[in-house]
Amino acid sequence: MAANFEEIKKDVKKKVAEITELPEDKLKEDAKFVEDLGVDSMMALEIVASIEKKYKISIPEEEIPTIRCLNDVYAILEKRIK
Amino acid sequence: MDAWDIDRIQEILPHRYPFLFIDKVTAIDTAARKVVCRKLFTINDYFFAGHFPGNPVVPGVILTEAMAQSSIILFAALKPEIAARNPMYYLGKAEVKFKQAVFPGDAVDFEIEAVKILNNTGIVEAKAKVGETVVAEASIGFGIKPRS
Repeated sequence: MAANFEEIKKDVKKKVAEITELPEDKLKEDAKFVEDLGVDSMMALEIVASIEKKYKISIPEEEIPTIRCLNDVYAILEKRIK
Repeated sequence: MDAWDIDRIQEILPHRYPFLFIDKVTAIDTAARKVVCRKLFTINDYFFAGHFPGNPVVPGVILTEAMAQSSIILFAALKPEIAARNPMYYLGKAEVKFKQAVFPGDAVDFEIEAVKILNNTGIVEAKAKVGETVVAEASIGFGIKPRS
């Protein structure tokens, strides 16, 4: 599962890079989406929606503001799919 | 199943002539998070005079706007307590594919399905259909902001 989750993290990073139109090497795991990367609320929702669809999970609205960087995305996913 | 007439639509949408592009809401299914809105285009619609003289075709931007307005109807159906406060609605993103032209006399059904709807933003998938034929489809993102 650990190896699989590494693959998932890679896929998620790729998807986030695509939505934010940022190169993957600029997407540091702890870079803040809004403050550091200029992600707006529409992009943030796109990230959440694409992850929900791909991994067939549901992220409640109240948890979305806690997703501030790539590491937070991984944590939410890990909690739900492991 | 439910339906709204033009009065109910105008309670939700701030748009008015010449920029209101929904005549009625024919179906609301909050469990499936879907709505269907309808617009009948007629030769009397003002934009046919210029688009195009002698060859009237519904502009793609108007189909896009109708899908965006239908998205607000879906938002209002799912978040009635927020819509009741008449917030401002903003179109944030629209990725549209146009598949067939729409002409005067066509009744277009705009089928909107929620992908993710939050209190201040939403993403939907939209299809515009004439009968069973899909004439356009779109992914639409929008924002909602309280009036100050």
